[in-house]
Amino acid sequence: MTPNKISVGDYLILQKQNYKKLLKFNKPNLTVTVGRDTINLTGIEGWPYFSVFKMVSNSSKKNREYSLELTQEIVNLKDEIDVKISGNDNRNIFDDGHSQKLSAADIEELKVDSSKASDIVETLITNSNTFHSKTEFSQEKYLRKKEKKYFEYIQIVRPNLRIITEVMYKLDPGKIQGIRVDTLSQIITMANIQSEGNHLLYDSGSNGLLAAALLSAIGNQTNGKLVHMHPGNMSQKQALLAMNFNEEHLNRCISVNVYSALRQYYQGCDTNDNTSSELNHLKRKAEDCIEIKSKVSKTENAIDKYINTEDDNISEDSKPEPKKPKWHFDNIAASTILKDKMDSLVIACKEDPKNIFNELLEFVKPGRPFVIYYNVAEPLQQLYMLLKSMSNVAALKLSCNWMRNYQVLPDRTHPEVTMDGAGGFLLTGYVLK
Amino acid sequence: MSFKNYKDKIDEGDTVILYLSNNLYALEVRREIKNKKGEMIENVFQTPFGALKVKNLIGADFGSRVELSKGWGHVLQPTPELWSLTLPHRTQIIYTPDISMILLQLDLVPGSTVIEAGTGSGSLTHALIRRVRPHGHVFTFDFHEHRAKIAKEEFEEHGIADFVTARHRDVLELGFGEELNGKVDAVFLDLPSPWAGIPHAVTAIKEEGGRFCSFSPCIEQVQRSCIALQEHGFQDIVTMEVLQTELKVTRRTIPVRDLSFLRHKSSECPVEEKPSGDTSYVVGAWPASTPGHTGYLTVATLPPDFKKSKAKDMMKSDVPEDKSDSSESDDRMVIDESVNQ
Repeated sequence: MTPNKISVGDYLILQKQNYKKLLKFNKPNLTVTVGRDTINLTGIEGWPYFSVFKMVSNSSKKNREYSLELTQEIVNLKDEIDVKISGNDNRNIFDDGHSQKLSAADIEELKVDSSKASDIVETLITNSNTFHSKTEFSQEKYLRKKEKKYFEYIQIVRPNLRIITEVMYKLDPGKIQGIRVDTLSQIITMANIQSEGNHLLYDSGSNGLLAAALLSAIGNQTNGKLVHMHPGNMSQKQALLAMNFNEEHLNRCISVNVYSALRQYYQGCDTNDNTSSELNHLKRKAEDCIEIKSKVSKTENAIDKYINTEDDNISEDSKPEPKKPKWHFDNIAASTILKDKMDSLVIACKEDPKNIFNELLEFVKPGRPFVIYYNVAEPLQQLYMLLKSMSNVAALKLSCNWMRNYQVLPDRTHPEVTMDGAGGFLLTGYVLK
Repeated sequence: MSFKNYKDKIDEGDTVILYLSNNLYALEVRREIKNKKGEMIENVFQTPFGALKVKNLIGADFGSRVELSKGWGHVLQPTPELWSLTLPHRTQIIYTPDISMILLQLDLVPGSTVIEAGTGSGSLTHALIRRVRPHGHVFTFDFHEHRAKIAKEEFEEHGIADFVTARHRDVLELGFGEELNGKVDAVFLDLPSPWAGIPHAVTAIKEEGGRFCSFSPCIEQVQRSCIALQEHGFQDIVTMEVLQTELKVTRRTIPVRDLSFLRHKSSECPVEEKPSGDTSYVVGAWPASTPGHTGYLTVATLPPDFKKSKAKDMMKSDVPEDKSDSSESDDRMVIDESVNQ
């Protein structure tokens, strides 16, 4: 492993200012789209992570195709453009739509002709009637906005749990069940996930984010194991793969279909000697169950397929070898771990958590913690009332989080004007004997 | 020793958490304790539900029920989260919502090396140790000699001393020590003037870069820290606040008031003007009073050495707080640049 160099096969984060994109660098001349731009990544291979590259226009700027050139320095517009005059306040500024002397067509032409972002912005400023009467702060804000628009540098960084969570939440919180970073961080701590022990996860759809989070805290070259149960045919692994875990690490996450694993545990139908025909029969029956029982798992399957087309790594699982497919051994392995009992239980489901919790609670050692996530409070409130009446858990707590980011600038510090409002709810507690 | 590994049974010397109808107590399992006169007497722990004979806990399973003279409770193995709720306060402590965020924001995984200043009551330290063990290490510093000593003893009693080095040291004055130069993955500061610790953080973080986090109650501290972070070449500087609210879940039966009959003249006269029945909901009520502020978390990434050279120019023009610090890290920048070029 060459941990600090960008290599083909890695998942990596392409960062352009605050925008981050997660991608698999599966060939050296990979082309990615960032907003309306198309960037060819040829040449980034072999450079250390954190390297910054300048976007260089390939042909005419109109088709917005760029290639990358390594660069040492990011030039900030603010440093390039020297603003000499500023106003005191906005009393003389009218928004009459005529403050910019250049027409839209002129600006388009300017964008095509100019090689540097600062040239464009400088021309814009020179042709603006109002820029120089704006206050210093307002000018800075204008430059920041323009910088965002014309920023021509990207940085390649290595994905980790923090960045993957941010990227996935920003892209579509719905695809990760609305698990916000603060909630995710608490799932890991409240379940006491650590390098030791057997940890049990039921996840009905977070694109592998929870498995990635728990396996990251279990760590590389440790004794901890993760049994990752899911309702669909294949586990969602996008985030898990994006973590670039090595094989030893990744192998300690055993992803199993929840029906197959529990059937194996209670009925022991799969053994290492069984013939494959019988196995397939049982497996198919399990799949039928899923399709009929819940729409949720259907959509899961759809997502799985969608990911599958995106990423060929996953197809490993879906290609059953004629005799002993991987899931056959995984079911047996999961069942063996379950027999040893688990040291934590994490559930993040779209189904009603009640039955799932009651079934999986069986496997948790007394005194160990559990965490149940749901994106709204009501199913957890119902479960709370039920668990209170059964008194087989301690320190039961239903909580929700509030998180806000801040703009910190000299004399202009305030909360960000938008915040990620939905963080979901956690029901936590400890299992009693 | 009950902090080191998962355990099934309670041994003498373990710290256990006693759970009694929504209350948590930490106690050390000793057959006998000294009384005020210095004599050894049987250890009896008093609770609102009567006395607990502590020696009866020895050999009991974690998670099991224990008898009290006027009721019963349950015993749990301490986790860093349970410990944060029950530990003896020597200072203000950081609680689980912030701790969780700090662990995630510092990119800590088993094997990471992390610096914490100050140690305080060791609330965060326990969580840091759990996250980085078994290959990683926590270096924790406190400028209060007695606190540093007690923390050190506590880590030994808890069986986690192998994963933590607790030192008495004024890190703002003296830095983290030469032996940590370029050795750590992450630095966490919970100090009154964190900005003064930032040059030391730069010195301590590994050549391949690392993460920084500062916990400050006041926004003025955050502003100064953010300026210092920028001056020292950090990127992705983010400030956030995390609060947690516990919802009180109850079944509520509420009256139903029917008004629809008023639309029509009724034969029955007079109709009673009171609720016509009731309905029931399970509700999660927000508490009347809830934590409104703990501290701001400011996090940032220190890029690898080869990227830092660009920060040098900026630093020259600025006048940092402590001249000896800045020149030290300034030198380092120059060296780094020459290595890179």
